[in-house]
Amino acid sequence: MRAQSVKIAATSAAIVLALSGLMYTTLSEGTEYYKHVDEVMVDPEAWYGKKLQLHGFVVDGSIQRRPNSLDYRFEVQSNGKVVRATYNGVVPDTLKDGSEVVIKGELSEAGFSVSPNGVMAKCPSKYEPAGVGALGAAGATGNY
Amino acid sequence: MATLGNLLLLASFVACAYAIAASVAGARRRSRRLVESGIGAFYFITALMTVATGVIVHAFVTNNFAIKYVQRYSDSAQPLVYKMTSYWGGLDGSIMFWVWLLSMFGALAIYMNRERQRELIPYVVATISATCMFFLFLMIVHNNPFSTFLAGPAAEGAGLNPLLQNFYMAIHPPALYIGFVAMTIPFAFGLAALITGHLDDSWLRAVRRWTMVGWIFLSFGLVLGMLWAYEELGWGGYWGWDPVENAGLLPWFTATAFLHSVMVQERRGMLRVWNVTLVILTFFLTIFGTFMTRSGIVQSVHAFGEDRELAFLFTIFMVLILTFSFGLVIYRLPLLRARNELDSWVSREAAFLANNWILLFSAFFVLFATMFPTISESLRGERLTVGPPFFNKWMMPIGLILLVLTGIAPLLAWRKTTLSNLVHQFMWPVGIGLATGITLYALGMRVWSAGTAFALCAFVATTIAQEFIRGAHVRRGATGSDIVTSMIGLVSRSRRRYGGYIVHLGIVLMFLGFAGEAFKKEAQVVMQPGEQITVGHFTVRHDALRVTQDAQKQMITGHLSVFDGDKAIGEMRPAKWFFNRRENEPTTEVAIRRGVGEDLYIVLAGYEAAEQSATYTITVNPLVNWIWFGFAIMTLGTILTLLPETAFALAAAKVPAGAATTSMLVIVLFMPAPIQAHSAATGGEAGQTFATPVERSPLWKKLEGEIMCTCGCNSPMNDCPMEPNCHGLETQRAKLAKFLEAGMNEDEVLRAFVADYGHQAVLARPIDEGFNRLAWLFPYLLGIGTAIGVGIVATRWSRRGPGQADTANDVMAPEDSALQTRLDDELRDLD
Repeated sequence: MRAQSVKIAATSAAIVLALSGLMYTTLSEGTEYYKHVDEVMVDPEAWYGKKLQLHGFVVDGSIQRRPNSLDYRFEVQSNGKVVRATYNGVVPDTLKDGSEVVIKGELSEAGFSVSPNGVMAKCPSKYEPAGVGALGAAGATGNY
Repeated sequence: MATLGNLLLLASFVACAYAIAASVAGARRRSRRLVESGIGAFYFITALMTVATGVIVHAFVTNNFAIKYVQRYSDSAQPLVYKMTSYWGGLDGSIMFWVWLLSMFGALAIYMNRERQRELIPYVVATISATCMFFLFLMIVHNNPFSTFLAGPAAEGAGLNPLLQNFYMAIHPPALYIGFVAMTIPFAFGLAALITGHLDDSWLRAVRRWTMVGWIFLSFGLVLGMLWAYEELGWGGYWGWDPVENAGLLPWFTATAFLHSVMVQERRGMLRVWNVTLVILTFFLTIFGTFMTRSGIVQSVHAFGEDRELAFLFTIFMVLILTFSFGLVIYRLPLLRARNELDSWVSREAAFLANNWILLFSAFFVLFATMFPTISESLRGERLTVGPPFFNKWMMPIGLILLVLTGIAPLLAWRKTTLSNLVHQFMWPVGIGLATGITLYALGMRVWSAGTAFALCAFVATTIAQEFIRGAHVRRGATGSDIVTSMIGLVSRSRRRYGGYIVHLGIVLMFLGFAGEAFKKEAQVVMQPGEQITVGHFTVRHDALRVTQDAQKQMITGHLSVFDGDKAIGEMRPAKWFFNRRENEPTTEVAIRRGVGEDLYIVLAGYEAAEQSATYTITVNPLVNWIWFGFAIMTLGTILTLLPETAFALAAAKVPAGAATTSMLVIVLFMPAPIQAHSAATGGEAGQTFATPVERSPLWKKLEGEIMCTCGCNSPMNDCPMEPNCHGLETQRAKLAKFLEAGMNEDEVLRAFVADYGHQAVLARPIDEGFNRLAWLFPYLLGIGTAIGVGIVATRWSRRGPGQADTANDVMAPEDSALQTRLDDELRDLD
């Protein structure tokens, strides 16, 4: 009985260790920093090449689209700091002047390059999804 | 009407308190009359909540915009069905809906078990009533669906969010709630068993069946959510690992684990602590899921408002649940000792144990990853997020391992499996699985995950088929009938076992659908009229863009012709609808051409009305429909397992598998949805104005949350449903701007508003000082006071009159022997 409980404890410890190790390594690949535009644009170079999610507001009148293409260019600001973003793909309907957005992608000297399906915009009005635990407002964009 | 509703809620609250007190006292004094009166009180709660539900639905149907909740989630133009489903369209109503469902389920469970589980019933009543009481408390102090506008009724409602005006949205939340709510019943029985110490395995019977009911509804809710996301949101997928979705998944994992490990306890008397723990965890996770998505502790872009007070109330409730139930588990540990030990790792119980670990790990993992942003923020002060790829990376192998176990576990023997037995059982399935894998590889499939999934699906399907065929052969030998008859006989004799296999078959089919995801093709394209594009073997041509209008909305519709190779196979009409008064939140009307092999899925992503050009996202989704079909099979299996003996005997005797066909039809009827872009007469150009929110300072935003809008909507300024055309809001904003320009701080502004208005009613909540603090505390004091009162009454009642206890003794006598024999028989039949 005693030997058995030791065995069980050792096995569980090994499994837990292995899993947490694995989790830690995959986590460092999988994580993205969630920042407000002004936090990042204070020292943009420090963030070059890191996976980022930027939170801010679309600058009024900044959304441009190359005719007959899905190339977009727009500016996102928060607390006075602005970042210029480029994106190719379909944007959500809610991407409008002034709307609150989260953009996923990477920052470089050329600006913020948004990854595919990386634009998420909040509706300007309050959005109250259906009920408790319901799949209320699953994203306007998603990765699959 | 609203007053009546309020009264009903209050009466239910009081009745809950009485039900708890009477049941606990009755159980302790062994007074049948008190216990009966507790049960009666619970039926009364059910009646009250049903009337309350009637009242709110009536208010919705008659457009009673004096009630805030009705005003916010309905309008007079809404179709009748959506007026009724608006009941659960928002938080307040969904809590009420929850209580109503809980009271219905509770009444049903109590009615069905009141004779069989006589010892447990009082505590079951008490536990369910306590849960009801919490939610009623929540409603009364915080989220009252019956609260009205002070300044008289509003002229028109804000309308239910158009995204929710959808067939699946009408039935998806109820399904999920039923799943959540049904999980309360096993918890109540578990708790009752712990309290009374009647921890022999008889309580498991009731618990297992109710968990299964909850489980199938939870699954139904999750699948409906997937369907809704797939058909309504238009991103071509169905599962995005959103916190809200994950919240529904967590209890599903633990409930699934329980349904498996309960068999180990029934057969071998092991894992008893574990099973009780799983029951408690499942219930806890339903509450936690609600808390997680509703209180705003997990932020998602999908804007769940942050609600500190709600978070606080939920935290208290959760801490209470955990301490109380795990305290009881520890107290009862001596009674929960296992009767057997694990003999061998090559046994069914070991396989179930592995399945449990993996399911529990999945729950833990999903919980961790969902909470990760919150955790990282509190630990490192830096918000890190993990996206769907991270979830997929982990959940894919986990899913595959579970799939393997689905095949292996049922073939292993209890206690120990011999080598020859292993060979006998696994020869065919492994062979066919390998053959499938090799064939797929030879055919050029190079996606390892999907390939493995397909091979494993073949393996599991073979194990199931083998079980059916072997069983039928044995039975044919015994009865001498033909193979089909003996198979039906086999299923009807041990429904639990073969129902389980059918559920597994459904899971296999769903995995086929999940694996098909790997071969998805997608194109995003801008097209002028006459242009075309080829995706997979489909060619799609953009013919025209039409703008039309009806009473509720304006519709922009793309007209597309679809060709398979050169052959025209039809037209598709994806659209965007702009509902009146919600012009800046258009809904996406996806056009889907369904097929057994693949779906062609087209979304109108953008348009230029002037040039008639349109942007489309065109997706070919292979095998998705197998997910829905697999779920239908799964439901069938569960129904089979749950059917009462008599009903099944009847169905099997008269029309073989008739019941099956009917239930199948019912399920299939749910599936097809009218997804068609409507085309009406051509209307004018789209002329829209969009309100553009201006960036404001944080202090401004904070204040907008604290100062009421004066238009009569009785909401804070940032929440006024009348925006952007609100007369009250503009004056308030002008005032606010003036005060802020004068350099006032938050407190000063608030005071200035109060002085200006002459009353604190202009504030969203009273200024936190002196008497006001008392007003703030009052509802809490009331709640705590009631709880203490109930406790005192219960203990006093249970102490009084030892003389009466004697007369009650024979009433609460142990179960009679006939019942005991029947139970034993049933337990023996379980497999």
